[in-house]
Amino acid sequence: MFQAKYPKYPSFAALLEDLAARQPEAPALRFGAAGCKSYLAFQKDVQARAEALKAGGKRCLGVLCDGSYACVREIFAAALAGMQLVLLDENLPEEELPALIRKTDIDALWGEDALDADLTPWLTRGAADGAGRVLFFTSGTTDSSKAVVLTQASLCASAWNGGALLPLSPEDRLLCLLPLNHVFGFVCGLLWGLSCGACVALGRGARYYAEDLKHFSPTAVAVVPMLLGFLLKQEALNQGLRLVLIGAGDCPPALPAAVKARGIRVSFGYGLTECSSGVALSLGEDPYAMQICPDFRVRVAEDGELLIENESCMMQGYCKDPAATAAVLRDGVLRTGDLGRLDEKGLLHVTGRKKEILVFPDGTKLFLPEYEARLRSVLPERDFAVIELKAAPALVLRGRETEREAVTRALEPLMRELPLSRRLKRVILDPSPLPRTATGKIQRWILQQKVVSQYDKN
Amino acid sequence: MTRTEIYDKVLEIVHDCVPETQEQELKESSVINTDTAIDSMGFTLIICRLEAVFDIKIPDRQWQKLYTVGDVVTAIEKRLK
Repeated sequence: MFQAKYPKYPSFAALLEDLAARQPEAPALRFGAAGCKSYLAFQKDVQARAEALKAGGKRCLGVLCDGSYACVREIFAAALAGMQLVLLDENLPEEELPALIRKTDIDALWGEDALDADLTPWLTRGAADGAGRVLFFTSGTTDSSKAVVLTQASLCASAWNGGALLPLSPEDRLLCLLPLNHVFGFVCGLLWGLSCGACVALGRGARYYAEDLKHFSPTAVAVVPMLLGFLLKQEALNQGLRLVLIGAGDCPPALPAAVKARGIRVSFGYGLTECSSGVALSLGEDPYAMQICPDFRVRVAEDGELLIENESCMMQGYCKDPAATAAVLRDGVLRTGDLGRLDEKGLLHVTGRKKEILVFPDGTKLFLPEYEARLRSVLPERDFAVIELKAAPALVLRGRETEREAVTRALEPLMRELPLSRRLKRVILDPSPLPRTATGKIQRWILQQKVVSQYDKN
Repeated sequence: MTRTEIYDKVLEIVHDCVPETQEQELKESSVINTDTAIDSMGFTLIICRLEAVFDIKIPDRQWQKLYTVGDVVTAIEKRLK
Protein backbone atom coordinates (compact mmCIF):
# COMPACT_ATOMS: atom_id res chain seq x y z
CA MET A 1 0.00 0.00 0.00
CA PHE A 2 1.45 3.36 -0.98
CA GLN A 3 1.69 6.04 1.66
CA ALA A 4 1.97 9.24 -0.32
CA LYS A 5 3.39 12.13 1.65
CA TYR A 6 0.92 14.59 0.19
CA PRO A 7 -2.87 14.91 0.25
CA LYS A 8 -5.05 13.95 -2.69
CA TYR A 9 -6.84 17.26 -3.24
CA PRO A 10 -10.48 17.31 -4.36
CA SER A 11 -10.08 20.62 -6.22
CA PHE A 12 -7.59 23.32 -7.22
CA ALA A 13 -9.07 25.54 -4.46
CA ALA A 14 -8.33 22.89 -1.83
CA LEU A 15 -4.78 22.54 -3.12
CA LEU A 16 -4.17 26.28 -2.89
CA GLU A 17 -5.85 26.62 0.48
CA ASP A 18 -3.76 23.84 2.01
CA LEU A 19 -0.43 24.99 0.63
CA ALA A 20 -1.02 28.68 1.29
CA ALA A 21 -1.72 27.73 4.92
CA ARG A 22 1.15 25.25 5.31
CA GLN A 23 3.93 27.10 3.50
CA PRO A 24 2.66 30.61 2.72
CA GLU A 25 6.01 32.18 1.91
CA ALA A 26 7.46 29.28 -0.09
CA PRO A 27 7.76 30.04 -3.81
CA ALA A 28 4.93 28.49 -5.79
CA LEU A 29 5.67 29.86 -9.27
CA ARG A 30 8.66 31.44 -10.95
CA PHE A 31 8.24 33.03 -14.36
CA GLY A 32 9.71 35.47 -16.86
CA ALA A 33 13.03 37.18 -16.14
CA ALA A 34 12.65 37.34 -12.35
CA GLY A 35 8.97 36.92 -11.45
CA CYS A 36 8.07 34.90 -8.38
CA LYS A 37 4.86 34.27 -6.42
CA SER A 38 4.70 32.57 -3.06
CA TYR A 39 1.85 30.14 -2.39
CA LEU A 40 0.03 32.81 -0.39
CA ALA A 41 0.52 35.51 -3.02
CA PHE A 42 -0.58 33.13 -5.77
CA GLN A 43 -3.70 32.20 -3.80
CA LYS A 44 -4.57 35.88 -3.28
CA ASP A 45 -4.10 36.64 -6.99
CA VAL A 46 -6.28 33.70 -7.93
CA GLN A 47 -9.00 34.60 -5.45
CA ALA A 48 -9.14 38.21 -6.63
CA ARG A 49 -9.39 37.15 -10.26
CA ALA A 50 -12.01 34.51 -9.38
CA GLU A 51 -14.21 37.21 -7.86
CA ALA A 52 -13.98 39.22 -11.08
CA LEU A 53 -14.85 36.15 -13.14
CA LYS A 54 -17.82 35.35 -10.90
CA ALA A 55 -19.07 38.89 -11.35
CA GLY A 56 -18.83 38.45 -15.13
CA GLY A 57 -21.37 35.64 -14.94
CA LYS A 58 -19.80 33.44 -17.63
CA ARG A 59 -19.87 29.67 -17.24
CA CYS A 60 -17.30 28.15 -19.57
CA LEU A 61 -13.87 29.64 -20.19
CA GLY A 62 -11.72 28.61 -23.14
CA VAL A 63 -8.08 29.33 -22.39
CA LEU A 64 -5.58 29.67 -25.23
CA CYS A 65 -2.68 28.34 -23.20
CA ASP A 66 0.50 30.38 -23.57
CA GLY A 67 2.09 29.02 -20.39
CA SER A 68 2.47 32.44 -18.77
CA TYR A 69 1.79 33.29 -15.13
CA ALA A 70 -1.37 35.13 -16.21
CA CYS A 71 -2.53 31.98 -17.99
CA VAL A 72 -1.97 29.76 -14.93
CA ARG A 73 -3.71 32.30 -12.69
CA GLU A 74 -6.66 32.43 -15.08
CA ILE A 75 -7.01 28.64 -15.11
CA PHE A 76 -7.02 28.44 -11.31
CA ALA A 77 -9.30 31.48 -10.99
CA ALA A 78 -11.88 30.08 -13.42
CA ALA A 79 -11.80 26.82 -11.48
CA LEU A 80 -12.39 28.68 -8.22
CA ALA A 81 -15.18 30.68 -9.85
CA GLY A 82 -17.02 27.45 -10.66
CA MET A 83 -16.53 27.71 -14.42
CA GLN A 84 -15.99 24.85 -16.80
CA LEU A 85 -12.50 25.10 -18.31
CA VAL A 86 -11.44 24.20 -21.84
CA LEU A 87 -7.69 24.26 -22.41
CA LEU A 88 -6.79 25.07 -26.00
CA ASP A 89 -3.60 25.15 -28.04
CA GLU A 90 -2.61 28.80 -28.47
CA ASN A 91 -1.35 28.05 -31.98
CA LEU A 92 -4.54 26.47 -33.26
CA PRO A 93 -5.48 27.71 -36.71
CA GLU A 94 -8.12 30.37 -36.12
CA GLU A 95 -10.56 28.75 -38.52
CA GLU A 96 -10.67 25.65 -36.29
CA LEU A 97 -11.66 27.54 -33.15
CA PRO A 98 -15.39 28.10 -33.84
CA ALA A 99 -16.04 24.34 -34.02
CA LEU A 100 -14.20 23.77 -30.74
CA ILE A 101 -16.08 26.64 -29.08
CA ARG A 102 -19.39 25.11 -30.15
CA LYS A 103 -18.38 21.61 -29.19
CA THR A 104 -17.46 22.57 -25.63
CA ASP A 105 -19.97 25.40 -24.92
CA ILE A 106 -17.37 28.11 -24.42
CA ASP A 107 -18.91 31.49 -23.57
CA ALA A 108 -15.68 33.38 -22.77
CA LEU A 109 -12.15 33.19 -24.15
CA TRP A 110 -8.84 34.05 -22.52
CA GLY A 111 -5.85 34.85 -24.71
CA GLU A 112 -7.86 35.87 -27.75
CA ASP A 113 -5.94 39.16 -27.99
CA ALA A 114 -3.26 37.23 -29.88
CA LEU A 115 -5.76 36.28 -32.59
CA ASP A 116 -6.50 38.23 -35.74
CA ALA A 117 -10.13 37.15 -35.90
CA ASP A 118 -12.94 38.29 -33.62
CA LEU A 119 -14.46 35.12 -32.25
CA THR A 120 -17.19 36.82 -30.22
CA PRO A 121 -19.94 35.82 -32.69
CA TRP A 122 -19.08 32.16 -32.16
CA LEU A 123 -19.32 32.17 -28.37
CA THR A 124 -22.16 30.08 -26.95
CA ARG A 125 -24.48 30.48 -23.95
CA GLY A 126 -22.04 28.51 -21.77
CA ALA A 127 -22.08 25.10 -20.17
CA ALA A 128 -24.72 24.15 -17.65
CA ASP A 129 -23.36 22.12 -14.72
CA GLY A 130 -19.76 22.51 -15.88
CA ALA A 131 -18.31 23.41 -12.48
CA GLY A 132 -15.26 21.32 -11.67
CA ARG A 133 -14.79 20.13 -15.24
CA VAL A 134 -11.59 20.62 -17.21
CA LEU A 135 -11.62 19.66 -20.89
CA PHE A 136 -8.60 18.67 -22.96
CA PHE A 137 -8.49 17.80 -26.65
CA THR A 138 -6.96 14.44 -27.48
CA SER A 139 -5.03 15.44 -30.55
CA GLY A 140 -4.84 19.16 -30.24
CA THR A 141 -5.38 20.57 -33.64
CA THR A 142 -8.18 19.02 -35.63
CA ASP A 143 -11.75 20.06 -35.24
CA SER A 144 -12.79 16.42 -35.21
CA SER A 145 -10.52 15.59 -32.28
CA LYS A 146 -12.32 14.55 -29.12
CA ALA A 147 -12.76 16.75 -26.08
CA VAL A 148 -12.03 14.64 -23.01
CA VAL A 149 -14.01 15.65 -19.94
CA LEU A 150 -11.78 15.51 -16.86
CA THR A 151 -12.28 17.19 -13.51
CA GLN A 152 -10.18 19.17 -11.09
CA ALA A 153 -10.42 16.16 -8.76
CA SER A 154 -9.25 13.69 -11.42
CA LEU A 155 -6.31 15.91 -12.36
CA CYS A 156 -5.31 16.39 -8.72
CA ALA A 157 -5.62 12.63 -8.19
CA SER A 158 -3.37 12.07 -11.20
CA ALA A 159 -0.76 14.44 -9.76
CA TRP A 160 -1.05 12.61 -6.44
CA ASN A 161 -0.49 9.26 -8.16
CA GLY A 162 2.63 10.59 -9.87
CA GLY A 163 3.85 12.11 -6.60
CA ALA A 164 3.31 8.82 -4.79
CA LEU A 165 5.85 7.13 -7.07
CA LEU A 166 8.09 10.12 -7.78
CA PRO A 167 7.73 12.54 -4.88
CA LEU A 168 9.08 16.07 -5.13
CA SER A 169 9.87 18.14 -2.05
CA PRO A 170 9.32 21.85 -1.30
CA GLU A 171 13.01 22.32 -2.06
CA ASP A 172 12.51 21.05 -5.60
CA ARG A 173 12.01 23.24 -8.64
CA LEU A 174 9.97 21.70 -11.47
CA LEU A 175 10.41 23.26 -14.89
CA CYS A 176 7.21 23.42 -16.92
CA LEU A 177 8.21 23.41 -20.60
CA LEU A 178 5.26 21.61 -22.16
CA PRO A 179 1.99 23.21 -23.25
CA LEU A 180 -0.66 23.27 -20.54
CA ASN A 181 -3.34 22.25 -23.03
CA HIS A 182 -1.77 18.78 -23.12
CA VAL A 183 -2.73 16.76 -20.08
CA PHE A 184 0.85 15.50 -19.67
CA GLY A 185 2.10 19.09 -19.61
CA PHE A 186 -0.63 20.21 -17.23
CA VAL A 187 -0.28 17.40 -14.72
CA CYS A 188 3.43 16.59 -14.93
CA GLY A 189 4.61 20.12 -15.68
CA LEU A 190 2.44 21.98 -13.20
CA LEU A 191 0.12 20.08 -10.83
CA TRP A 192 2.71 17.45 -9.85
CA GLY A 193 4.99 20.22 -8.55
CA LEU A 194 2.28 22.26 -6.84
CA SER A 195 0.73 19.17 -5.19
CA CYS A 196 4.09 18.39 -3.60
CA GLY A 197 4.59 22.00 -2.46
CA ALA A 198 7.54 22.43 -4.83
CA CYS A 199 8.23 25.55 -6.87
CA VAL A 200 7.11 25.39 -10.51
CA ALA A 201 9.12 27.43 -13.00
CA LEU A 202 7.04 28.37 -16.02
CA GLY A 203 9.05 28.00 -19.21
CA ARG A 204 9.17 31.09 -21.42
CA GLY A 205 8.15 29.35 -24.65
CA ALA A 206 9.80 27.58 -27.54
CA ARG A 207 12.38 30.33 -28.09
CA TYR A 208 13.85 29.65 -24.64
CA TYR A 209 13.72 25.87 -24.39
CA ALA A 210 17.48 25.51 -24.05
CA GLU A 211 18.07 28.67 -22.02
CA ASP A 212 15.29 27.98 -19.51
CA LEU A 213 17.23 25.19 -17.83
CA LYS A 214 20.10 27.55 -17.07
CA HIS A 215 17.75 30.42 -16.21
CA PHE A 216 15.56 28.54 -13.72
CA SER A 217 18.01 25.84 -12.54
CA PRO A 218 15.32 23.17 -12.13
CA THR A 219 15.81 19.95 -10.18
CA ALA A 220 13.12 18.18 -12.22
CA VAL A 221 11.62 18.54 -15.68
CA ALA A 222 8.93 16.73 -17.69
CA VAL A 223 9.60 16.43 -21.42
CA VAL A 224 8.47 14.69 -24.58
CA PRO A 225 11.16 12.62 -26.35
CA MET A 226 11.78 15.09 -29.15
CA LEU A 227 12.28 17.97 -26.73
CA LEU A 228 14.69 15.87 -24.69
CA GLY A 229 16.65 15.08 -27.85
CA PHE A 230 16.84 18.80 -28.57
CA LEU A 231 17.98 19.66 -25.02
CA LEU A 232 20.66 16.98 -25.14
CA LYS A 233 21.87 18.20 -28.52
CA GLN A 234 22.09 21.73 -27.15
CA GLU A 235 23.93 20.48 -24.02
CA ALA A 236 21.22 22.28 -22.08
CA LEU A 237 20.69 19.95 -19.09
CA ASN A 238 21.75 22.00 -16.07
CA GLN A 239 23.80 21.06 -13.05
CA GLY A 240 21.46 20.34 -10.19
CA LEU A 241 18.90 18.63 -12.42
CA ARG A 242 18.19 15.32 -10.67
CA LEU A 243 15.11 13.96 -12.44
CA VAL A 244 13.88 13.88 -16.03
CA LEU A 245 10.38 12.52 -16.65
CA ILE A 246 9.74 11.47 -20.25
CA GLY A 247 6.26 10.87 -21.60
CA ALA A 248 3.67 11.34 -24.32
CA GLY A 249 5.54 9.61 -27.12
CA ASP A 250 7.67 6.67 -28.16
CA CYS A 251 11.19 7.15 -26.92
CA PRO A 252 14.33 5.69 -28.48
CA PRO A 253 16.59 4.04 -25.85
CA ALA A 254 19.48 6.40 -26.63
CA LEU A 255 17.69 9.32 -24.97
CA PRO A 256 17.20 7.92 -21.43
CA ALA A 257 20.69 6.41 -21.69
CA ALA A 258 22.19 9.83 -22.47
CA VAL A 259 20.40 11.38 -19.48
CA LYS A 260 21.57 8.61 -17.15
CA ALA A 261 25.12 9.01 -18.42
CA ARG A 262 25.00 12.54 -17.03
CA GLY A 263 24.17 11.17 -13.57
CA ILE A 264 20.52 12.26 -13.76
CA ARG A 265 17.66 9.98 -12.81
CA VAL A 266 15.30 9.28 -15.68
CA SER A 267 11.78 7.96 -15.54
CA PHE A 268 9.54 7.06 -18.43
CA GLY A 269 5.80 7.44 -18.14
CA TYR A 270 2.85 5.81 -19.87
CA GLY A 271 -0.46 7.59 -19.75
CA LEU A 272 -3.55 8.70 -21.61
CA THR A 273 -5.60 11.87 -21.65
CA GLU A 274 -8.62 9.70 -20.79
CA CYS A 275 -6.94 8.77 -17.46
CA SER A 276 -5.92 12.37 -16.60
CA SER A 277 -2.30 11.57 -17.61
CA GLY A 278 0.04 8.97 -16.04
CA VAL A 279 -0.91 5.34 -15.54
CA ALA A 280 2.56 3.89 -14.91
CA LEU A 281 6.09 5.18 -14.37
CA SER A 282 9.46 3.49 -14.51
CA LEU A 283 11.37 3.70 -11.26
CA GLY A 284 14.25 1.28 -11.75
CA GLU A 285 17.12 0.78 -14.15
CA ASP A 286 14.95 -0.30 -17.09
CA PRO A 287 13.10 2.81 -18.34
CA TYR A 288 10.55 0.68 -20.17
CA ALA A 289 9.50 -1.46 -17.17
CA MET A 290 6.90 0.66 -15.42
CA GLN A 291 5.39 0.51 -11.97
CA ILE A 292 1.64 0.97 -12.10
CA CYS A 293 0.44 4.04 -10.20
CA PRO A 294 -1.30 3.24 -6.89
CA ASP A 295 -4.88 4.07 -7.89
CA PHE A 296 -4.76 2.12 -11.16
CA ARG A 297 -5.52 -1.47 -12.06
CA VAL A 298 -4.17 -2.68 -15.39
CA ARG A 299 -5.14 -5.95 -17.08
CA VAL A 300 -4.12 -7.39 -20.41
CA ALA A 301 -6.94 -8.62 -22.65
CA GLU A 302 -6.63 -11.84 -24.64
CA ASP A 303 -5.55 -9.93 -27.72
CA GLY A 304 -2.88 -8.02 -25.74
CA GLU A 305 -4.83 -4.78 -25.34
CA LEU A 306 -4.28 -2.92 -22.07
CA LEU A 307 -7.46 -2.48 -20.02
CA ILE A 308 -7.44 0.14 -17.29
CA GLU A 309 -9.63 0.66 -14.25
CA ASN A 310 -9.45 3.63 -11.96
CA GLU A 311 -12.11 5.52 -10.02
CA SER A 312 -10.22 8.71 -9.21
CA CYS A 313 -8.55 9.66 -12.51
CA MET A 314 -10.86 8.31 -15.21
CA MET A 315 -12.53 10.73 -17.62
CA GLN A 316 -16.26 11.39 -17.35
CA GLY A 317 -16.40 10.74 -21.09
CA TYR A 318 -15.92 12.47 -24.43
CA CYS A 319 -17.81 15.74 -24.53
CA LYS A 320 -21.25 15.29 -26.16
CA ASP A 321 -20.19 11.99 -27.69
CA PRO A 322 -21.75 9.10 -25.76
CA ALA A 323 -21.18 6.67 -28.63
CA ALA A 324 -17.43 7.34 -28.71
CA THR A 325 -17.33 7.13 -24.90
CA ALA A 326 -19.18 3.81 -24.86
CA ALA A 327 -16.79 2.43 -27.47
CA VAL A 328 -13.82 2.74 -25.11
CA LEU A 329 -15.23 3.02 -21.57
CA ARG A 330 -17.63 0.36 -20.27
CA ASP A 331 -18.38 -0.48 -16.64
CA GLY A 332 -15.43 1.60 -15.55
CA VAL A 333 -12.95 -0.25 -17.79
CA LEU A 334 -11.06 1.76 -20.40
CA ARG A 335 -9.96 -0.01 -23.56
CA THR A 336 -6.73 1.83 -24.28
CA GLY A 337 -6.04 0.64 -27.82
CA ASP A 338 -2.45 0.08 -26.67
CA LEU A 339 -0.81 -3.32 -26.50
CA GLY A 340 1.37 -4.46 -23.65
CA ARG A 341 2.25 -7.06 -21.06
CA LEU A 342 2.82 -7.33 -17.34
CA ASP A 343 6.05 -9.05 -16.29
CA GLU A 344 6.53 -11.40 -13.35
CA LYS A 345 7.12 -8.40 -11.05
CA GLY A 346 3.89 -6.78 -12.16
CA LEU A 347 5.72 -4.09 -14.16
CA LEU A 348 4.06 -2.79 -17.28
CA HIS A 349 5.72 -2.97 -20.72
CA VAL A 350 3.93 -1.17 -23.55
CA THR A 351 4.63 -2.99 -26.80
CA GLY A 352 2.57 -1.32 -29.52
CA ARG A 353 -0.76 0.02 -30.64
CA LYS A 354 -3.93 -1.68 -31.69
CA LYS A 355 -5.86 1.39 -32.63
CA GLU A 356 -5.21 3.28 -35.82
CA ILE A 357 -3.12 6.02 -34.35
CA LEU A 358 0.47 7.14 -34.76
CA VAL A 359 2.28 8.85 -31.89
CA PHE A 360 5.47 10.75 -32.64
CA PRO A 361 8.39 11.72 -30.39
CA ASP A 362 7.16 15.30 -30.02
CA GLY A 363 3.87 13.99 -28.58
CA THR A 364 1.90 14.61 -31.78
CA LYS A 365 -0.85 12.07 -32.38
CA LEU A 366 -2.32 11.29 -35.78
CA PHE A 367 -5.68 9.52 -35.86
CA LEU A 368 -5.23 7.75 -39.16
CA PRO A 369 -8.82 7.38 -40.40
CA GLU A 370 -9.35 11.10 -39.84
CA TYR A 371 -5.99 12.11 -41.30
CA GLU A 372 -6.41 9.89 -44.33
CA ALA A 373 -9.91 11.30 -44.88
CA ARG A 374 -8.36 14.76 -45.15
CA LEU A 375 -5.78 13.43 -47.61
CA ARG A 376 -8.58 11.79 -49.55
CA SER A 377 -10.09 15.23 -50.13
CA VAL A 378 -7.02 16.26 -52.15
CA LEU A 379 -6.15 12.82 -53.55
CA PRO A 380 -9.53 11.42 -54.58
CA GLU A 381 -9.62 8.10 -56.40
CA ARG A 382 -6.10 7.23 -55.25
CA ASP A 383 -4.94 4.17 -53.33
CA PHE A 384 -2.81 5.25 -50.37
CA ALA A 385 -2.07 4.79 -46.69
CA VAL A 386 -0.17 6.72 -44.04
CA ILE A 387 2.53 4.96 -42.03
CA GLU A 388 5.29 5.98 -39.65
CA LEU A 389 8.75 6.20 -41.15
CA LYS A 390 11.74 7.47 -39.19
CA ALA A 391 9.51 8.95 -36.49
CA ALA A 392 7.45 11.03 -38.94
CA PRO A 393 4.31 10.55 -41.04
CA ALA A 394 4.86 9.16 -44.52
CA LEU A 395 2.37 8.69 -47.33
CA VAL A 396 2.57 5.50 -49.37
CA LEU A 397 0.72 6.09 -52.62
CA ARG A 398 0.15 3.64 -55.44
CA GLY A 399 1.72 5.37 -58.41
CA ARG A 400 4.87 6.06 -60.38
CA GLU A 401 7.77 8.44 -59.81
CA THR A 402 6.68 10.47 -62.84
CA GLU A 403 3.60 11.52 -60.86
CA ARG A 404 5.57 12.96 -57.94
CA GLU A 405 5.30 16.59 -58.98
CA ALA A 406 1.54 16.38 -59.53
CA VAL A 407 1.04 14.61 -56.19
CA THR A 408 3.14 17.21 -54.37
CA ARG A 409 1.11 19.99 -55.97
CA ALA A 410 -2.14 18.31 -54.97
CA LEU A 411 -0.99 17.93 -51.38
CA GLU A 412 0.38 21.44 -50.95
CA PRO A 413 -2.82 23.31 -49.96
CA LEU A 414 -3.61 20.78 -47.25
CA MET A 415 -0.03 20.61 -45.98
CA ARG A 416 0.09 24.39 -45.70
CA GLU A 417 -2.97 24.26 -43.42
CA LEU A 418 -1.37 21.77 -41.05
CA PRO A 419 1.20 22.56 -38.37
CA LEU A 420 4.73 21.37 -39.13
CA SER A 421 4.55 18.33 -36.85
CA ARG A 422 1.47 16.99 -38.68
CA ARG A 423 2.71 17.45 -42.23
CA LEU A 424 3.82 14.47 -44.32
CA LYS A 425 7.56 14.10 -44.12
CA ARG A 426 7.83 11.70 -47.04
CA VAL A 427 5.77 10.65 -50.04
CA ILE A 428 6.59 7.18 -51.30
CA LEU A 429 5.31 6.24 -54.74
CA ASP A 430 4.97 2.52 -55.29
CA PRO A 431 3.43 0.98 -58.42
CA SER A 432 2.35 -2.21 -56.64
CA PRO A 433 -1.07 -2.48 -54.97
CA LEU A 434 -1.25 -1.81 -51.24
CA PRO A 435 -1.61 -4.97 -49.13
CA ARG A 436 -5.22 -5.49 -48.05
CA THR A 437 -7.28 -8.01 -46.13
CA ALA A 438 -10.03 -10.02 -47.82
CA THR A 439 -12.47 -7.33 -46.69
CA GLY A 440 -10.40 -4.59 -48.30
CA LYS A 441 -8.85 -3.13 -45.17
CA ILE A 442 -5.27 -1.99 -45.58
CA GLN A 443 -2.76 -4.24 -43.80
CA ARG A 444 -0.80 -1.37 -42.41
CA TRP A 445 1.77 -3.40 -40.51
CA ILE A 446 2.70 -5.37 -43.66
CA LEU A 447 3.01 -2.13 -45.59
CA GLN A 448 5.07 -0.63 -42.76
CA GLN A 449 7.47 -3.61 -42.74
CA LYS A 450 7.84 -3.52 -46.52
CA VAL A 451 8.57 0.21 -46.69
CA VAL A 452 10.93 0.19 -43.71
CA SER A 453 12.94 -2.72 -45.13
CA GLN A 454 13.19 -1.01 -48.54
CA TYR A 455 14.20 2.22 -46.89
CA ASP A 456 16.86 0.52 -44.79
CA LYS A 457 18.28 -1.14 -47.93
CA ASN A 458 18.60 2.20 -49.68
CA MET B 1 19.02 43.82 -47.65
CA THR B 2 18.10 42.08 -50.91
CA ARG B 3 16.04 38.89 -51.05
CA THR B 4 19.10 37.01 -52.26
CA GLU B 5 21.14 38.21 -49.29
CA ILE B 6 18.36 37.16 -46.92
CA TYR B 7 18.12 33.78 -48.65
CA ASP B 8 21.88 33.22 -48.35
CA LYS B 9 21.79 34.08 -44.65
CA VAL B 10 18.81 31.78 -44.09
CA LEU B 11 20.69 28.91 -45.73
CA GLU B 12 23.79 29.61 -43.62
CA ILE B 13 21.72 29.44 -40.43
CA VAL B 14 19.76 26.37 -41.55
CA HIS B 15 23.03 24.53 -42.29
CA ASP B 16 24.48 25.63 -38.99
CA CYS B 17 21.45 24.66 -36.89
CA VAL B 18 20.73 21.40 -38.69
CA PRO B 19 24.05 20.10 -40.06
CA GLU B 20 22.23 17.21 -41.80
CA THR B 21 20.97 19.78 -44.35
CA GLN B 22 24.49 20.63 -45.52
CA GLU B 23 24.42 17.82 -48.04
CA GLN B 24 20.98 18.79 -49.33
CA GLU B 25 20.27 21.18 -52.13
CA LEU B 26 17.87 23.69 -50.61
CA LYS B 27 15.90 25.93 -52.93
CA GLU B 28 13.29 28.56 -52.16
CA SER B 29 10.68 26.00 -53.19
CA SER B 30 12.01 23.31 -50.82
CA VAL B 31 9.26 22.20 -48.45
CA ILE B 32 10.65 22.52 -44.95
CA ASN B 33 9.84 19.12 -43.52
CA THR B 34 9.42 17.08 -46.67
CA ASP B 35 12.46 18.05 -48.73
CA THR B 36 14.78 18.79 -45.82
CA ALA B 37 16.08 17.09 -42.69
CA ILE B 38 14.48 19.71 -40.47
CA ASP B 39 12.11 18.50 -37.74
CA SER B 40 9.94 20.72 -35.57
CA MET B 41 12.60 21.23 -32.88
CA GLY B 42 15.21 22.03 -35.52
CA PHE B 43 12.81 24.50 -37.04
CA THR B 44 12.28 26.18 -33.66
CA LEU B 45 16.03 26.57 -33.31
CA ILE B 46 16.33 28.02 -36.82
CA ILE B 47 13.58 30.59 -36.26
CA CYS B 48 15.11 31.69 -32.95
CA ARG B 49 18.50 32.17 -34.59
CA LEU B 50 16.97 34.03 -37.54
CA GLU B 51 15.08 36.35 -35.18
CA ALA B 52 18.30 37.14 -33.33
CA VAL B 53 20.38 37.65 -36.47
CA PHE B 54 17.82 39.83 -38.27
CA ASP B 55 16.57 41.48 -35.05
CA ILE B 56 12.96 40.70 -35.86
CA LYS B 57 10.13 38.80 -34.18
CA ILE B 58 8.01 36.27 -36.04
CA PRO B 59 4.95 35.47 -33.87
CA ASP B 60 4.67 31.78 -32.90
CA ARG B 61 1.32 31.63 -34.66
CA GLN B 62 3.04 32.63 -37.94
CA TRP B 63 5.71 29.93 -37.60
CA GLN B 64 3.05 27.32 -38.22
CA LYS B 65 2.25 28.86 -41.57
CA LEU B 66 5.77 28.73 -42.98
CA TYR B 67 5.83 25.88 -45.49
CA THR B 68 8.80 26.39 -47.79
CA VAL B 69 12.24 27.92 -47.40
CA GLY B 70 10.92 30.74 -49.60
CA ASP B 71 8.10 31.39 -47.09
CA VAL B 72 10.75 31.90 -44.39
CA VAL B 73 12.64 34.35 -46.60
CA THR B 74 9.41 36.24 -47.34
CA ALA B 75 8.49 36.43 -43.64
CA ILE B 76 11.87 37.98 -42.86
CA GLU B 77 11.75 40.31 -45.86
CA LYS B 78 8.34 41.63 -44.74
CA ARG B 79 9.56 42.37 -41.24
CA LEU B 80 12.71 44.12 -42.42
CA LYS B 81 10.74 46.56 -44.54
